[in-house]
Amino acid sequence: MNRRVAVTGIGVVAPGGIGAKAFWDLLSAGRTATRGITLFDPVGLRSRIAAECDFDPADHGLDPDLSRHADRYIQFAVVAAGEAVRDAGLDTDAEDPWRVAVSLGSAVGGTTRLEHDYVLVSEGGRRWDVDHRAADPKLHMAFSPSTLSSVVAEQFGARGPVQTVSTGCTSGLDAVGYAFHTIAEGRADVCISGASDSPISPITMACFDAIKATSPDNDDPEHASRPFDNNRNGFVMGEGAAVLVLEEYEHARARGAHIYCEIGGYATFGNAYHMTGLTGEGLEMSRAIDSTLDQARLDPTLIDYVNAHGSGTRQNDRHETAAVKRSLGSHAYDTPMSSIKSMVGHSLGAIGAIEVAACVLALKHQVVPPTANYETPDPECDLDYVPRTARPRKLRNVLSVGSGFGGFQSAVLLTRSGGRTR
Amino acid sequence: MSTERPRRAVVTGIGVIAPNGQRADAYWKSVREGLGVLDRITREGCEDLPLKVAGEVRGFDASTLIEDRFLVQTDRFSHYTMAAAQLALDDAGLPRENPEEPFEIGVVTAAGSGGGEFGQRELQKLWSQGSKFVGPYQSIAWFYAASTGQISIRSGLKGPCGVVASDEAGGLDAIALAARGVRRGTGAVLVGAAEAPLAPYSMVCQLGYPELSTVEDPDRAYRPFTAGACGFVPAEGGAVLVVEDESRARDRGAAVRAVVAGHGATFTGASRWEKSREGLARAIRVALDEAGCAPEEVDVVFADALGVPEADRAEALAIADALGAHATRVPVTAPKTGIGRAYCGAPVLDTAAAVFALEHGVVPPTPNVFDICHDLDLVMSRARPAELRTALVLSRGLMGSNAALVVRRGDESAR
Amino acid sequence: MITTALTFDELSTLMKQAAGVTVDARELEKAPDAPFTTLGLDSLGLLGIVGELENRYSVALPTDAERCKTPGEFVGLVNNALRTGV
Repeated sequence: MNRRVAVTGIGVVAPGGIGAKAFWDLLSAGRTATRGITLFDPVGLRSRIAAECDFDPADHGLDPDLSRHADRYIQFAVVAAGEAVRDAGLDTDAEDPWRVAVSLGSAVGGTTRLEHDYVLVSEGGRRWDVDHRAADPKLHMAFSPSTLSSVVAEQFGARGPVQTVSTGCTSGLDAVGYAFHTIAEGRADVCISGASDSPISPITMACFDAIKATSPDNDDPEHASRPFDNNRNGFVMGEGAAVLVLEEYEHARARGAHIYCEIGGYATFGNAYHMTGLTGEGLEMSRAIDSTLDQARLDPTLIDYVNAHGSGTRQNDRHETAAVKRSLGSHAYDTPMSSIKSMVGHSLGAIGAIEVAACVLALKHQVVPPTANYETPDPECDLDYVPRTARPRKLRNVLSVGSGFGGFQSAVLLTRSGGRTR
Repeated sequence: MSTERPRRAVVTGIGVIAPNGQRADAYWKSVREGLGVLDRITREGCEDLPLKVAGEVRGFDASTLIEDRFLVQTDRFSHYTMAAAQLALDDAGLPRENPEEPFEIGVVTAAGSGGGEFGQRELQKLWSQGSKFVGPYQSIAWFYAASTGQISIRSGLKGPCGVVASDEAGGLDAIALAARGVRRGTGAVLVGAAEAPLAPYSMVCQLGYPELSTVEDPDRAYRPFTAGACGFVPAEGGAVLVVEDESRARDRGAAVRAVVAGHGATFTGASRWEKSREGLARAIRVALDEAGCAPEEVDVVFADALGVPEADRAEALAIADALGAHATRVPVTAPKTGIGRAYCGAPVLDTAAAVFALEHGVVPPTPNVFDICHDLDLVMSRARPAELRTALVLSRGLMGSNAALVVRRGDESAR
Repeated sequence: MITTALTFDELSTLMKQAAGVTVDARELEKAPDAPFTTLGLDSLGLLGIVGELENRYSVALPTDAERCKTPGEFVGLVNNALRTGV
């Protein structure tokens, strides 16, 4: 069984503004939401900057229990899912609950809360034999990564397959990909899918400090995230969530839903190379791209835009440039490829879903979001990175690609042409 | 129009690192004999916690299975998973590294707790000494994707790689993910889960589960389906399977040990055990339907067996709802009462036991359980010989997932 | 003024501690130009060793330290930095 899968709703919680509209306003204006960290005192860290969400759970009508006890990344997901379901005009009470699925990704899950309580039970890190009496009785909710999908499924009455995906920085793309398979292969008709992370905490910032992956441009946070620019010096941490309502095409049509686009294909491969390193050839990412094109029976020359992983590390930007050239051939030079991480930072597992949401909005508005802060070309990265200013363009087929620690290389194809053009 | 037979996903290799055995055959021997190994927790720093009993993997000799550097660079949960993966590759007769067609083989793991012990050590350095004392491996050792990534890199496997970060049922979801990947075209997938939740802070995190047993007598701490059911006991370890395309396996002369025939998954809410009756029954029906298998064809059920009275009742009723009159006749077993519940690893271990049970025509017993208060034919005390063609493996997670997997004997010809 | 110098002995110990890589000190000394990668030490491992030395001696080593390809190059660079206090 291979059924068509439509995108019918979008919800976003991103740095720079809550909601899909605020998110698109930021992207289309080429503004950056990176700043000095305010969520905790980052003194002593090498990288003290991040793209933070100005998020108050009280503003979003979360029930008191969620407002008070749920982790920030779960609150993000519930708010984004709520917006997506409303946007889709989906009456969850009217759906067969066993045919509604959830597929959400997160790279680090409840880490922030786990760290918070760790400090309490260990007397500030002095004890290995921690004292359980100081811990929050609901700490298991931070410990279990499936809490994310469980809480969202509960909120929207989903009773079908409920999964949490955690493939590092491709979690968001893979969660959307798993959702695509779940619907295409007939295991559900609707899937609430996306990803969320709130990793701006001392331990996560410190662990990226330790491998010098994050930008130390603490004096100029607005311009610190510079994917593809020759003077880039690492990624800027972010946080946020994006959720899409995916739906079987005829199911969406039957209820008169607005269809943004379809998922044309999804693939993921391992690079089997290094937990954090990337090759210069991009063979595995290219293979993922090729596979999505095959699934949609789409010629590579019909790709109109590539939303890059574009983290702003030298090895990533070169790897990815090579992968896209390998798959699109000379058409790569005519294809705009931008990184929204320049504006909203890198929210680890969430960003893949946020980038898919950006692609859906790009298709809707027929505008390519730019790579902010791109000034100085890198001779080894010679594609069109859409410097600084958004660009109107006829868009039908759009690719979102990502790489993650652990070697994951994923691609999602979004299409308004229905694919099948070869 | 294609008249090709659909691809079938079969099990060709099993690797186990469990509290009761550190190879698949050692594990099966213990399971078959109904050996109970639950015992006092001996890990440093856990002495004063109210959780006293668990299934520990003891005497794990990592050095024969994985290189020293992984002992420093990864958490214990990855040590177990990598070791089990190595054993599974060996068992399947696949090369330990760099296969000829790297894109043909993928890796999928399920993870329910990540690298908690490693993480606690780094948290301690951060908060007692400062951020500069956090080591570089924290960025790749704690997160849920660590084991999949390390296995893929170590063995040179470039096929589709995935991670289900889940509650217990995620172990079966991962197997299903692998089987579907194989049906879609991947040659083989190393799939499984192993967990290491027995470090001080990880244990503190688990204390909030209302289903956790804190009974201090190892023989009485985990007795599902009995009047004395008082919750579950956690365990570490797990299993990895090689799930492979049947024709690929036959072409290379590998033994087809079982067929992964069907899977169903539903969600009925965290700790709402009464509701899991309907969810589990539906998962069973979906799995049987996918397998093209009638309820009467199920020859043995590997129960979830949570050990919470309400949950045990819901499971017994779910089996009755889904299998009808056959439910009172089909033998049911829960070998995990001898070792505890290794979170995502638990249902993968059960699946491994199911494969052995099909091969040997034996239903293993349910250790420590002697007198049940539900209408089930639970196999107790000693193993029961039986002609087995089809096994049903059930799992429910503490966050509300229900899953069922149908596994059939490898020599059953494709219909 | 720091008088301590990094020896191959210490580097061998650090490689073991920080990255779990066992290479005999004499082997390092005999073949100081053998690449770290062939000895089994990856970029993260070297970062860990740099961090350990920085914490131990309370100095910041030059960023070139983590880019060294061989034990010989690394020991030379670190000792030079410790001597000059850079």
